[in-house]
Amino acid sequence: MKPSRRSDPYWMLLPTLLLLFVFFIFPLGMLVKHSLFSWDLLTPARFVGLANYRSLVRSGELWQTFGTTLSMSSAVVLGSMSAGLALALLLDRPGRWAGFVRSAVFSAYVVSWVSVGLLFLWLLDADSGILAEIWRVFSPSRSPRWLADPALAPWAVAAVTVWKITGYALVIFLSGLQDVPQSILEAAELDGASSIRRFRSVTWPLLRPTTLFVATTSLIASFQLFDVVRVMTQGGPVRSTTVFVYAIYEQLFLDLRVGRASAEAVAFFGILLLLTGAQFLLFRSEESA
Amino acid sequence: MLGAACQGDAVPKGRTPVSLWFSYGGTNREVLESLVLRFNRSQTRDFVQAVYQGDYFEGLAKLRTAIAAGCAPVLSHVVGEVVPYLAEAGVLEPLADYPGLRDLDLIPELGQERAWVQGSTRPLCALPFNRSTPIAYLNGERFAQAGLEPPRTWDELRTVAGRLSEPTAGRFGFGCPINWWFWVALVGQAGGSIIAENGRISLGDQAGVDALRLWQELVRAGLMKPPPGRDYNAWEQCNQDFLSGRAAMIWSSTAFLKYLESHARFKVVAAPLPAGVKRAVPTGGTFWVVLRSAPSAEKAAAARFLRFMHEPAQVIEWSTRTGYIPVTRSAVRELEQRGYYAAHPNDRVALAQLSVAEAWPWSVDLFRIQREIVQPCLESAVIEQRDASAILAEARARALEPT
Repeated sequence: MKPSRRSDPYWMLLPTLLLLFVFFIFPLGMLVKHSLFSWDLLTPARFVGLANYRSLVRSGELWQTFGTTLSMSSAVVLGSMSAGLALALLLDRPGRWAGFVRSAVFSAYVVSWVSVGLLFLWLLDADSGILAEIWRVFSPSRSPRWLADPALAPWAVAAVTVWKITGYALVIFLSGLQDVPQSILEAAELDGASSIRRFRSVTWPLLRPTTLFVATTSLIASFQLFDVVRVMTQGGPVRSTTVFVYAIYEQLFLDLRVGRASAEAVAFFGILLLLTGAQFLLFRSEESA
Repeated sequence: MLGAACQGDAVPKGRTPVSLWFSYGGTNREVLESLVLRFNRSQTRDFVQAVYQGDYFEGLAKLRTAIAAGCAPVLSHVVGEVVPYLAEAGVLEPLADYPGLRDLDLIPELGQERAWVQGSTRPLCALPFNRSTPIAYLNGERFAQAGLEPPRTWDELRTVAGRLSEPTAGRFGFGCPINWWFWVALVGQAGGSIIAENGRISLGDQAGVDALRLWQELVRAGLMKPPPGRDYNAWEQCNQDFLSGRAAMIWSSTAFLKYLESHARFKVVAAPLPAGVKRAVPTGGTFWVVLRSAPSAEKAAAARFLRFMHEPAQVIEWSTRTGYIPVTRSAVRELEQRGYYAAHPNDRVALAQLSVAEAWPWSVDLFRIQREIVQPCLESAVIEQRDASAILAEARARALEPT
């Protein structure tokens, strides 16, 4: 359809562009500007050029935060996808029991992050949590300090996140499974393919778009981790759970450093942009293949 | 109901509003709100509206943002470490010229005069509110069973913690949050100070190392339980370790005295902190500050509220219901006359400890040193058992980096 006037599409796009400018482009520009200053909101801002970025890199903080975020994200994406797929395969059947378990697993997804954080704070308490009690039944040694040991805490927080978002992956995988044509599965069965072979050669390839979607949404959720870290570990012990969003919050609201927080946010934005670009290329190569 | 009376009520016609941002939950909040209500009912000129703003650090973040946005409250209370920073930024109202505020009979160690080095030479901009020192809380039953006395020296601390620890049963002799405030206490006891007299950020030099090594040694030997969590989460966890019997002795703020006494199923005994090469404690808690940006009439009303809060009745109410130290000499005299300290010896511990209280340096960097430089290295040294000397050298180097 051809517009009657050349300017019509631009006028129609204007409200969206305006919203984008006010809520995205303008704040982003401000963020980049602030990252070049040393500012605490109270005293006059001082131009420091790229010093905030240099400081983040030299202190190792940027790479440490990136490493923590990436490793926790990987665990969350792999964990939620594997658990979601396994549960979907188990529960892709009619019946009350399967329906109940499906609802139960999904219910975690609708509970608030803060509630989940508090709940697991109690469950994982190394002295009086349920997990510690179970540990004591099987082992004479003290329960591992799930949230107080820098080697365990990131994985404990990642596991809690997996628990929380697996219900979502389950629902998406279930809908993906229901789109797999029964006729192909029956044909494979008639050809003598085992259940593992049917999954590997029929179900899994047909679930690819669903898997990519679940991977993308889990990745987004894991990169936005904040509430559960704020409630359970406050970024500790020894910064072992300081993910990007929490690091930005800490710099800005606890350490009173607007410039450093802005630089960290710009770096985070750049990393996300790179990841999105890589994902886009992956999609393109999948499509052309 | 009290909360509703303080926060939700509209300002009655003809009265000057005073917005007050505070950072307490639990009993402290109830007591503060009851005092605000008492003030609002005691006169018809001013009306204080108290609004909760999260813990100290959350409250500070909001206060700072509100100042920048031009919508700050008239009155708030902030931790002592941040007062020099706010004062030097020029956002605090000088208080000396408001009627009666210069002449409050404050205990010098708790007021600006001696809370900071040369505090009396600076314009008065902070008045003490909930003031505290770290003290030791002992499980009276376990100490009595073991025939032990409160430790008076670091050596005795090691011995007592060893006698009361049963690592295999998950019981520890000693518990302490791995927190800047307690480390500053240890540095003072080891004979050092965070900032040297010439202004150099020394982090206690060898005393800082000795302080860290004491913690490391106790944790490594299984005699001390560093509670999980950071900031006030760790404090709360430490209290729970004490109440549940997992730690026979903890260091915490005198602010938790009433809470621990009322929740423990055993006799709680408060004791002063032990000495290293000398006895020393920092003071803690918060100071009232009036924001310079507020309208003059509201600042004057806030000053009247502050005068009211420093009257003996209010100081006594606040102190005896929370455990914080009474901030005026008249309140202490009245409590002595009433026989309060004879009946509640635990309440006297923090007050008596003021004789060895050390003043904070008046430094705009103090808050940054606390949050960015020292706190992360304490965790790293104690939990990861990194070399104390090396980690403090790194921290000193970071402290010298331009901000």
